[in-house]
Amino acid sequence: MKVIMSLLFFDMAFWFYLATMILYFGYWIFRKEWLGQAATVIAIISTFAISMMLVFRTKESGHAPFSNLYESMAFFVWITSIAYLIMEFKYKIKVVGAFVMSIAFIAMVATSQLPYRFQDIQPLNPALQSIWFELHVFSAFIGYSGFGLAFGMALMYLIKARFEERKTSNFLIDRFPASAMLDELSYKSVAWGFIFFTLGALILGAVWANKAWGTYWSWDPKETWSLITWFVYAAYLHARITRGWRGKKAAYVAVFGFLSTIFLYWGVSFVLPGLHAYASQ
Amino acid sequence: MTISDKSAVKTIGSRIWVFFGSLKLTLFVLFSLAAFSVVGTVIQQNQPTEFYSGEYGKWAPLILRIGLEDMYHAWWFSTLLLLLILNIIVCTIDRFPPKWKTTLESKADVDARFIKNLLNKHTLILQDKPAFVRERILNILRKKRYKVKEASGAEGMSIYAWKGRTGRFGSDVVHVSLLLILCGVIIGSITGFKDFGAFYEGEVITVPVTELRLGIDRSWHGIPLPKIERQEKASDIQLRLDKFWIDYYESGQIKQYNSVLTLSDSGREIIKGRQIWVNAPLSYKGITFYQSSYGTAYDRVKQAEFLLKRAKTHKTITPPFTALWNTPYDIPGTDYRIKVVGFVSDFAFDPATSTVFPKSAEHNNPAINVEVYKAGKLVSRPWLFYNYADLFAAIPDSDYELVFDSYKGILYTGLSINKDPGTNVVWIGSALMVVGFFMAFFIFHKRIWVNVRKGSLETEVNIGGMINKNKFVFERELSEIVDEIKSGSSGGIKQ
Repeated sequence: MKVIMSLLFFDMAFWFYLATMILYFGYWIFRKEWLGQAATVIAIISTFAISMMLVFRTKESGHAPFSNLYESMAFFVWITSIAYLIMEFKYKIKVVGAFVMSIAFIAMVATSQLPYRFQDIQPLNPALQSIWFELHVFSAFIGYSGFGLAFGMALMYLIKARFEERKTSNFLIDRFPASAMLDELSYKSVAWGFIFFTLGALILGAVWANKAWGTYWSWDPKETWSLITWFVYAAYLHARITRGWRGKKAAYVAVFGFLSTIFLYWGVSFVLPGLHAYASQ
Repeated sequence: MTISDKSAVKTIGSRIWVFFGSLKLTLFVLFSLAAFSVVGTVIQQNQPTEFYSGEYGKWAPLILRIGLEDMYHAWWFSTLLLLLILNIIVCTIDRFPPKWKTTLESKADVDARFIKNLLNKHTLILQDKPAFVRERILNILRKKRYKVKEASGAEGMSIYAWKGRTGRFGSDVVHVSLLLILCGVIIGSITGFKDFGAFYEGEVITVPVTELRLGIDRSWHGIPLPKIERQEKASDIQLRLDKFWIDYYESGQIKQYNSVLTLSDSGREIIKGRQIWVNAPLSYKGITFYQSSYGTAYDRVKQAEFLLKRAKTHKTITPPFTALWNTPYDIPGTDYRIKVVGFVSDFAFDPATSTVFPKSAEHNNPAINVEVYKAGKLVSRPWLFYNYADLFAAIPDSDYELVFDSYKGILYTGLSINKDPGTNVVWIGSALMVVGFFMAFFIFHKRIWVNVRKGSLETEVNIGGMINKNKFVFERELSEIVDEIKSGSSGGIKQ
């Protein structure tokens, strides 16, 4: 099957995301307003490019553009970009862009390094031909993106909180939003992520498994890692309201949660065997 | 029991209660469940004992002793889940009633000092009359969909406005939904069953049912404990496989497995010729039939092709001929007749019982069992090998040699037959959980108090409020309300 247009748009998006990341860093470091505006414009163009990649991928493959690692990574970048842009317009916190767009660009690099067979379009095996599968992945990836944003802001929080505590000034760190704001936004991202993750990865995944294999839960490694990740973010939500845990410790849990998400997404597919191992086939 | 004893018991009791209701326990249980689950994905579960001694060597006994090879069913993993349930229940009992009370309480009669002590507050001095100001504030709040309650006391008029009270109970809804899901899991594990079977076209099977009985278990120190006994019995439901086939993509990859099923209950055909495939099962009376796998039969064939040769010269004397399974076939030009009566996909022989059996379901060494008749009389019953032609003489005392040339296998369909009455409870719990999340994360309990009192020349307005989370948004909303109050005034000074 022909996969020309989607690959073309992917390559374009790759360079646009690199430019986006550099511009956000430039804005952060050199404090030039025009750099910030340029960063936002290029971020929108990048998002458009990756959108076109997904549209052409759907057209070329004839199925939803998230049925293997290559497609789903591009999809992750797409959702993360949109979520970030919404946040930027709502809260006017462009310095966060340097962190979030780094995550997006790293995802693009990881995607481009995947073996060639992932870029090729494979017809769907019988188990994957289900609307529940599509909803499952779609919703789960919104969850992943929420966790990704929360991770970026939790890292910023940990840095910012340290400087605020010591009352020291640093021309880079001073540009961060206040730690209370970072904590709040990180929490919001987890909240959005947690809802879609619970709905997508766990509930819709269970509905699909029940339709396809006749059992909604089978402790398959991917399922178990979803549950592990769910436990970690449930712990985060409880830590935030527990005396002695709110603030820094909770932020560490959010960081830890995203590491768990990355393993759930990449590690399980390549390292552990199970029903979801088709991702690596 | 003395008074001090009683209070000691009470202290211990309340300490235990506090322990079970603490958020620290929640964190401990959540992290423990996460950590153990990681172990469960690293150590492969439910493998034969030899696997563990091979893979983990001297650690194997320890792994088996602790139950790490089937850890999701180990007693300590269940204990952690039980702790989580207890934690949820105790927390809810502890926190729900006071939360209910404070959420519903609506103290409207507050003075300016109360408002000035709030985290978010504004003081306005306006030129309008108090009654006019109050009316405008009420309108603004109502327009923002706040519910309002008024009061007038010694310190002028006051207003209490609130919205989003349901948001406070989101976490309770989530907790209840979690318990509901666990209930569904337990119902399923007690009353459900899961079966798997390989079926051939035309085959009829009787679907099992599970019967539960209350029995007594004395395995623990001989103490009689109640136990639920399960028994699988034949039901009145019968299932027939009418047809099975596989669809392929052009590239040769498998596109879909399909089975056509006919189901009858108590002898009456209920569902006739329903096609199922992966992701599209058939359900009847809570029992669901899933397309789960397929394979080629290891103990029968559709038909087999043979050649007849001269024993001495190995020269073929007839064109290849085809005999159907279990159907007599007269070999043309001879007075011999053959009948295919047996097949194994991977030939093996058990000398103790003199029986032939398939060593595996793989078609490694296919062999066919043929009955040979001469003039209507059975003369031999040889096994012929696909891989080793003319190994044995098939027809004794003759110049003929029968060769097993090829065969056409029969596909079987692998069906999972499941009954899980707990599934619907799990889905209801899941839906409730999502609703609970939306309530908890996106409905904010906002409370605003306003006090309007007459100063010497002008009207003093104190306005302040609280939100249970999302305080940045609330700060902005409160400032907007303040701005609106000011803009509608005939001339105000902010203090």
